Amino acid sequence: MNARLTRSSWIARITFLEAIRQRFFAFLLVLSAAMVVSSVSFRFMDFGHSELKFVADFAFGGMFLFGSVLALVMTAQLFFAEIDNRTALTLLAKPLSRTEFLLGKFLGTWAVLGVFVFSLAFLQGVILWSRTQELIVLAAESGRVAPDFSVSGLAAFAVLQWFRLGVVAAMVLMVSAVARTFLFAVIVGAMAIVAGQLQWLAQEALLKPSDANALTKGLLWLSSRVIPNLQQFNIGDTLVLDPTAISGDAVWSVVLSGFFYLVAFLALASLAFRRREI
Amino acid sequence: MRRAAPWIVAGLLLLGAGAYSETSWRGVRQAVPEIGRKQIEPTLGQGVLLGILGGLRTIVADATWLRSYVFWEKRDRAGCEALMKTACALDPRSRFFWENTGYAVGYDFAHWEIRRRGGYTKVSPEIQDGIFRRYAQLGLAVFEDGVEHTGGNSGILISAGQLAEIKLKDNLLAASYYRRATQAKSVPWFAYFMCARTMWEAGQKEEAYAWYSAQWLAKLKKEEDGAPDDLERLRFMEDELKVPVLQRIPRQPWEK
Amino acid sequence: MTTGSAISVQGLTKDFRVGLRGLKLRAVDNLTLEIPRGQVFGLLGPNGCGKSTTLKIVLGLVPATTGTISILGSPSATAAARQRTGFLPEAPYFHKFLTGRELVEYCARLSGVPADKVTAAVEASLELAAMTEAANRPIGTYSKGMLQRIGLAQAIVHDPELVILDEPTAGVDPVGSAAIGRMIHAMRAKGKTIVLCSHLLGQVEQVCDRVAIMDRGRLVLEGRVDEVLAQRDRHVITVEALSPAARAAAEAALAAHGATVTSITHPRRSLEDLFRELVTGSRDA
Repeated sequence: MNARLTRSSWIARITFLEAIRQRFFAFLLVLSAAMVVSSVSFRFMDFGHSELKFVADFAFGGMFLFGSVLALVMTAQLFFAEIDNRTALTLLAKPLSRTEFLLGKFLGTWAVLGVFVFSLAFLQGVILWSRTQELIVLAAESGRVAPDFSVSGLAAFAVLQWFRLGVVAAMVLMVSAVARTFLFAVIVGAMAIVAGQLQWLAQEALLKPSDANALTKGLLWLSSRVIPNLQQFNIGDTLVLDPTAISGDAVWSVVLSGFFYLVAFLALASLAFRRREI
Repeated sequence: MRRAAPWIVAGLLLLGAGAYSETSWRGVRQAVPEIGRKQIEPTLGQGVLLGILGGLRTIVADATWLRSYVFWEKRDRAGCEALMKTACALDPRSRFFWENTGYAVGYDFAHWEIRRRGGYTKVSPEIQDGIFRRYAQLGLAVFEDGVEHTGGNSGILISAGQLAEIKLKDNLLAASYYRRATQAKSVPWFAYFMCARTMWEAGQKEEAYAWYSAQWLAKLKKEEDGAPDDLERLRFMEDELKVPVLQRIPRQPWEK
Repeated sequence: MTTGSAISVQGLTKDFRVGLRGLKLRAVDNLTLEIPRGQVFGLLGPNGCGKSTTLKIVLGLVPATTGTISILGSPSATAAARQRTGFLPEAPYFHKFLTGRELVEYCARLSGVPADKVTAAVEASLELAAMTEAANRPIGTYSKGMLQRIGLAQAIVHDPELVILDEPTAGVDPVGSAAIGRMIHAMRAKGKTIVLCSHLLGQVEQVCDRVAIMDRGRLVLEGRVDEVLAQRDRHVITVEALSPAARAAAEAALAAHGATVTSITHPRRSLEDLFRELVTGSRDA
């Protein structure tokens, strides 16, 4: 087992180094960071939301949108680069199983996504803290209660987003394992992400009593099981600005849900990749 | 069968992950007020938008609200209402969106309807009154929705009370909203007076005085802002109701 | 299956499905081949004959349609079977941002070299591949020949018993090609089995002990180089200082014994030998 993990970790290490060097990653990170920093300048657009919520939303949006693009494109690109450049030929001719190879690719990509998410979360924390200090002074002058945010909630949200992007990466890897081209993998992967973001509609429909026929209920049940519910990871507003509204157990259950999906999609990817001709 | 076994196991893993995600979703869905609403209207459109946007909801809500102004300028009721309600759906914790949507529905739409029917001279007063009442009820429904999603915001409750008072001319209903506002967090001091006033005007004078004086003694007399003004009003009530001296609010050291 | 074989291929057939109608393209047709241990074995054939497909199946990169393959006594489809195998693909491509040393270390780790022996193994393979000086440069700066040599280094870093080289000298100049040939000899001297796939027949002839020729997915010929190339009904005699009179007398003597002189020409050295002589000489100067 140690040897297997060692091999996968080396694949992950090289994948990480390759990914972190890519301009695409740097571009998205800078763009997202600019979005977070610029949130303070867009305060005029704030229609009475808690100002901290408005600022936080910029970071949430950056993590969500650019994080999803990064997870989608980078995962597919790192996989197909190995196939198209035939480095996979050299690697898989070694005593390295295809499962170890895929696991290594996933872990390397997930590590890059972690750098992205936690960098943005840190920047968001700095911006929120800075603005909170200003609002505390203003509140003291006007006799009001100053708004505050939860640092631990922000950390928890960053972990949730990391897991969400991990699920996205695992899904894209599964698609890439059977896809013949990078473009196909990206298109199908994007559709899978959209389906994941909308899956909550199916779950809500199942949770509410209805008189739908058996076929409809069956389809809803199947889609709610097979497609991951990515919406459950988007609870940043609550975690950061109203952390008492959600229990730690609920947050942990979302993390666990993400982990189970990771394992399931990676297992399917491994099985699909086994029969692929390199 | 041997070749299919790993696939079956992986498939079961996926189904198991999906089953567990239902549990985790139940745990967090109430923390996402956009999702926890009883109704999402129109269901598919707003639901899709909510799902797609993820963390960008607030920004898109603001942009949607700005866009609604275009329809407001054109007096386009359907477009205005749709966009305003979409903004509310995208950011249901925002008092601003609920309050202003309620104002638009409760006050503005009625006038637009009358103008659409030919204007104030052509539409009879009875029909005008019916239109005002209908849209006031719709506006109150918006305010109620807003109260639910903002956790009982006192500002929205006060706005609902004003709408009931001005358009429905229902002082008791208005008083009920003002009373609910006094039970909310961060209640403005004047809400107590508004509740007492509307009860008084609805004919419940003794009840108004009893409630208002109890609130003053428990909460308001410590407030620098309201205490003198409220006490002045209470003294007026005491005089009107001829309350015995011993049952009146004790004279305060700072009272003139 | 012969236990002494490095690679044993029994009844190997590989069909590819092509196009929307899934037409079968037979790339390898009922191939049976034994590659003995401790020799340099050349696998030859025209483009599209199935030799690269055969190697990929041997290495588990492509599944066989039918047939069995074993590597050093173990079924070839498992990762463990590749523990004692090294592979240099045709036109190798490696991560450009890695240095040569980093690449070889990476491959050593993947091949299961113990952590405490990695450094020594890396240095030994770099030295064998004559890449020690350039090892700290990024692979993106390497020439074609250097790429082939670093590819060889990564293939042998874990000291495998079996080394498979697919077109190791393609695009490499004669000096570099000769260096690779010396490395192959050095590996054979250590008892390793080398399987060489190449279009450069001159080099195959010099380096290999046995050859197999494939055509259209089938094995056409297999045997020792000396045996398959020898024309036993003819002789070559090289003579120095042959005057015209001596030439006439020699021809007459041979004719008297029933031999027929078919040609008398001056021997030629190869262009490759001349090139190496001139270039190596100018570098040494």
